[in-house]
Amino acid sequence: MQPLAEPVTKLIDAFGQLPGIGPKTASRLAYFLLRSDAAIALNLATALQELKEKTLFCSVCHNIADQDPCAICANAQRDRSLICVVEEPLDVQAIERTREFHGLYHVLHGAISPADGIGPDDLKVAELLRRIQQGAQPASPEQAAASLLAQVHTSEVREIVLATNPNIEGEATAMYISRLLKPMGIRVTRLARGLPVGGDLEYADEVTLGRALAGRSEM
Amino acid sequence: MYLSHLSLTHFRNYQKLEIDFSGPLTLFQGENAQGKTNLLEAIYYLATSKPVHAQTEREIVDWLAEDEPIPFARVAATVLTDASRRPLELEIVLSQRGEGGAFQKQIKINGSNKRSLDLVGQMRAVLFLPEDIKLVDGSPGERRRYLDIALCQISREYTRSLSQFQKVMTHRNGLLKTLREQNARPNDANVAGQLAFWDEQLTAHGSAVMARRHQFVQQLEQCAHQRHLELSDEREQLALQYLPSFNLGNMSDADYARLKENRLDRIEPVQDNNGLTAEQLQPHFMAKLASRRGREIAAGNTLYGPHRDDLRFLANGRDLRTYGSRGQQRTAALSLKLAEVQAMTVATGAAPLLLLDDVMSELDAVRRSTLLTALEGVPQALLTTTDWDDFTPEFRARAQLFTVAKGAILPLSA
Repeated sequence: MQPLAEPVTKLIDAFGQLPGIGPKTASRLAYFLLRSDAAIALNLATALQELKEKTLFCSVCHNIADQDPCAICANAQRDRSLICVVEEPLDVQAIERTREFHGLYHVLHGAISPADGIGPDDLKVAELLRRIQQGAQPASPEQAAASLLAQVHTSEVREIVLATNPNIEGEATAMYISRLLKPMGIRVTRLARGLPVGGDLEYADEVTLGRALAGRSEM
Repeated sequence: MYLSHLSLTHFRNYQKLEIDFSGPLTLFQGENAQGKTNLLEAIYYLATSKPVHAQTEREIVDWLAEDEPIPFARVAATVLTDASRRPLELEIVLSQRGEGGAFQKQIKINGSNKRSLDLVGQMRAVLFLPEDIKLVDGSPGERRRYLDIALCQISREYTRSLSQFQKVMTHRNGLLKTLREQNARPNDANVAGQLAFWDEQLTAHGSAVMARRHQFVQQLEQCAHQRHLELSDEREQLALQYLPSFNLGNMSDADYARLKENRLDRIEPVQDNNGLTAEQLQPHFMAKLASRRGREIAAGNTLYGPHRDDLRFLANGRDLRTYGSRGQQRTAALSLKLAEVQAMTVATGAAPLLLLDDVMSELDAVRRSTLLTALEGVPQALLTTTDWDDFTPEFRARAQLFTVAKGAILPLSA
């Protein structure tokens, strides 16, 4: 069998490394680019190059951004006394879509999961505390918390919204952070749990429904 | 509850089986290695969603089925319940994903996909096996597994607590191992901070599991005591003791120490023993973890909780595991199983399905007749035997009779 030209196999292999793309899809994509207008391929190439060259992590909130600080952190209109803590950059997008939140974000890049060996030191927890403190580099979250106690009154942050996932790892992360922040007198809140809008009561599982009942509100 | 139809495909040695049941008693006769046990295990698998001998689910699939394009095994049953006029259709399909891949379990109730949490408890069953004696003389793990399978069928809440407990413990053990590698000091505030959430969750779910087990063992003891008296000709007083890995707070510490060493004749409860709730128990669990943090970090493992529970059988005050004869142990195991039937009936309002695998051959005349008496009045019992003569002609006349040979089941022609 005649081997394919090397640039083609190289591209197929590159596509094959992406999540959700198998060998067939990889070759289909490669052949599509081979046959199509050169502009499409070049656009893709530039986009890929810029993806790595022109993005960075915001030094304040650790979200993916094209400038530092990111557009949200730099926006003077946003409420600086409110920080929403999320696990992943995609979670920021999800909350932004609600248009209900006008504070700032803090991306942890993961959640505490001891079974996978992920502890608070592997997340951006110390950075969160430093942000509230806006002072010296703390060695550990606990130390940061201790030195923060003294300075908290000078901080402009008034409330931390914990928006980690409602699974066991997310709950562990939320609980850990709230334990660090509570003694400082900062208000710590957690997203409410309950029923999805447009959902059907009879299909809700009993834990969710139980939480929804426990957290019912006055009409 | 009544199992009216069973369908097996590639299950163990059954290539294809369709069988209808009628009447309360069904008796299967066959030589060894023909498929009697597999039949009862199929039904029990559908009741508990777990393989009986803790074998892997791979072993459930008939090895001949490997020649099929897609190897799979299917167990399905039609169950009539008091609660609904519509029969309940239960189904488990195990199929292989790809060449040499892992087996995937798919559960359906009335044709729609469900989780195993939803399946367990739909058709409740109690399985009697010749190796039930292991419950008395085997390892504590066997007894915990026994309590779990019985309680999961009774209470969905228990199933949930148990699975949450296991999930939390995996994380907590991971954290304890990490702390051990870091040579963390137990009194460090950072260590306390990291453990706080997992301690809270572990004790919340663990306490729910232990409180339910504690209550269930008391329930079992009441029934088992009575059964054991009948089986032993009024000679033996059977007692069951629940042995948690720490004092749950329902007795003094001195009594707990004596209980562990089996030197306690009578427990003097410091509070109402029957009402031991998860809420009362949790502070004791928390205190235990707090006081043993150093040991747990050194071990890199959770050392206290329901995964360290045990159950002790006493006949006239003697520990049957160490001092009981084979016959006494067998009798105690049978009393326990009969008590389970009763406890399950009380807890759920409907008698479970009884599955008895070649149990008669192990019993003497007194125990046989006690067991057969216990079978009277149950809605449904399925029994296997190698020898028709294990059963009286009167019993056989009332039962539906089948012979089992080489993975095929035929009605007995008179």
